[in-house]
Amino acid sequence: MLEVTGLQKIYRDREREVEAVRDLTFQLTEGELACLVGPSGCGKTTLLKCIAGLMEPTSGTVELAGRSVTGPPPDMAVVFQEYGRSLFPWLTVQGNIELPLKEKKLPKKRRGELVAESLEAVGLSGSARAYPWQLSGGMQQRVAIARAIAYEPRVLLMDEPFAAVDAQTRADLEDLIRDLWNRFDMTVLFVTHDIDEAVYLGQRVLVLSSSPTVVQDDVSINLPSVRDQLTTRSDARFTELRTRIYSEIQNAKHTSAAAK
Amino acid sequence: MNMMTADSVRPARTPTDQRRLAGARRPVRARVPGAGALLGAGGAAASLLIWEIVPRSGVVSPKYLPPASEVLAAFVERLALQSFWTAVGDTLITWALGLAIAFAAAVVLGFLVGSVPLLRTFTSSTVEFLRPIPSVALIPLAVLIYGTGMQATLLLVVYAAFWQIYIQVLYGVVDVDPVAEQTARSYGLGRWSRARHVTWPSALPYLITGVRLGAAVALILTITGQLTIGSPGLGQSIDVARSSGAVASVYALILATGILGVTVNVGVRAVERRVLRWHTSVRGENTA
Ligand SMILES: Nc1ncnc2c1ncn2[C@@H]1O[C@H](COP(=O)(O)OP(=O)(O)OP(=O)(O)O)[C@@H](O)[C@H]1O
Ligand SMILES: [Mg+2]
Repeated sequence: MLEVTGLQKIYRDREREVEAVRDLTFQLTEGELACLVGPSGCGKTTLLKCIAGLMEPTSGTVELAGRSVTGPPPDMAVVFQEYGRSLFPWLTVQGNIELPLKEKKLPKKRRGELVAESLEAVGLSGSARAYPWQLSGGMQQRVAIARAIAYEPRVLLMDEPFAAVDAQTRADLEDLIRDLWNRFDMTVLFVTHDIDEAVYLGQRVLVLSSSPTVVQDDVSINLPSVRDQLTTRSDARFTELRTRIYSEIQNAKHTSAAAK
Repeated sequence: MNMMTADSVRPARTPTDQRRLAGARRPVRARVPGAGALLGAGGAAASLLIWEIVPRSGVVSPKYLPPASEVLAAFVERLALQSFWTAVGDTLITWALGLAIAFAAAVVLGFLVGSVPLLRTFTSSTVEFLRPIPSVALIPLAVLIYGTGMQATLLLVVYAAFWQIYIQVLYGVVDVDPVAEQTARSYGLGRWSRARHVTWPSALPYLITGVRLGAAVALILTITGQLTIGSPGLGQSIDVARSSGAVASVYALILATGILGVTVNVGVRAVERRVLRWHTSVRGENTA
């Protein structure tokens, strides 16, 4: 479904070069929910932008359903890390969700349905006419998610979407993502720097090393598919998995420190 | 609000600024409802009183400054005259037409030049040369081309208002939040759609600032043109009244231009509040 091969990205400006991503290779199969963890600054956002066709990799390729990605693919939605800036303040919640659908030339009736459905799914049915800046941070984040779902993407990329919300909202949003993924048939790549979150959410966790970034480990999460904040997190396997990933990241830090 | 006057010379805040400021609420001053209006009315009454007393007591000769009552009487008298309303109409038409032409040209050129970096750099030196030329310096040229008709004044108005708006549009077009831009791109919005749904609204606060400045400057040059070139309008009426020695009428007409200025300003502000409902500068006012 999604194939990233030998991806490298070097940011160049006049004074310096930053190698954000060294060499990334991995595949996602159709309908998978994979999490990507890695320390801050290891190039997660960079990778996502390359996958989303918003940025050209220095070398390597991204292929989506056998087609090489050169611009934003039509059936992909991205939830950005800076969700507040990603929502358009001059449009209402409804307007924000509807704009991509208008661009898709969907008829008015269908657009209305999609807006209502997606807002319902994130529990914001009452806020369609509000402006994003009239909502709390967590609500704005849900609007950004609703906009992505209404777009009916086959692939959904999410960049640390819960970094700025409190623990309770975060737990709710995590369950929301699992729920949406179950209901709508999509492949999800979820970026986070929170190991617990990655283990809780994913079927699979890709661990990135710190810069220069490579795929350090690819852990399949053999937890039951119905997850629950309390029971799943206290499961012995959960603890085991997170310990494994945690030590993996610690290792990565030491080896890369030694290499320098 | 004083915040807005302080801002009026600068381009509107950048989105990043706005976001930072969005969290910070200005303290709400406790006030008695209507107290501001009452105080304002009191101030106006006091000024009129002083204006009445100064010429009457002979501090300033009434030959140069007729008392307020006399001027107001002359003003009311004018209101009944057809010629007065024709002059007002001419002034408004010159102003509105000049502003509209400047607006259209500045928006089209601003968007075009602003979004092509090469063009922007290429034209910047020319702009920096042309912009500071005071419009009034073009009066001889305007007369040469158009004589003393309305077009001569129009030329000045367009020239002056154009730069005010154009410069703001140039700033506005590049002040698009990259995250918003990338969001639009990732959702498949094409070049034209992005211009319409992202760049245009992002530039709108700048554009409105430009229009506000442009509208004021346009009125000044409308009157200036009519006064010095003699194109029809209030400015010309002032000159006619002056040459016939009708001092009270001169003041009455000046009063009329003042009222026009205030009306224009209030109008632009109303438009601003409507169009920028979503913008921090306006929505802050609503919550306070
Ligand atoms: N536009 C840019 N120009 C130059 N360097 C950049 C640019 N964007 C990112 N970088 C650099 O690339 C590296 C990776 O950045 P990136 O934003 O991808 O990290 P990240 O893993 O998403 O971090 P975080 O978890 O903090 O969001 C960093 O060292 C950063 O300084
Ligand atoms: Mg990031």
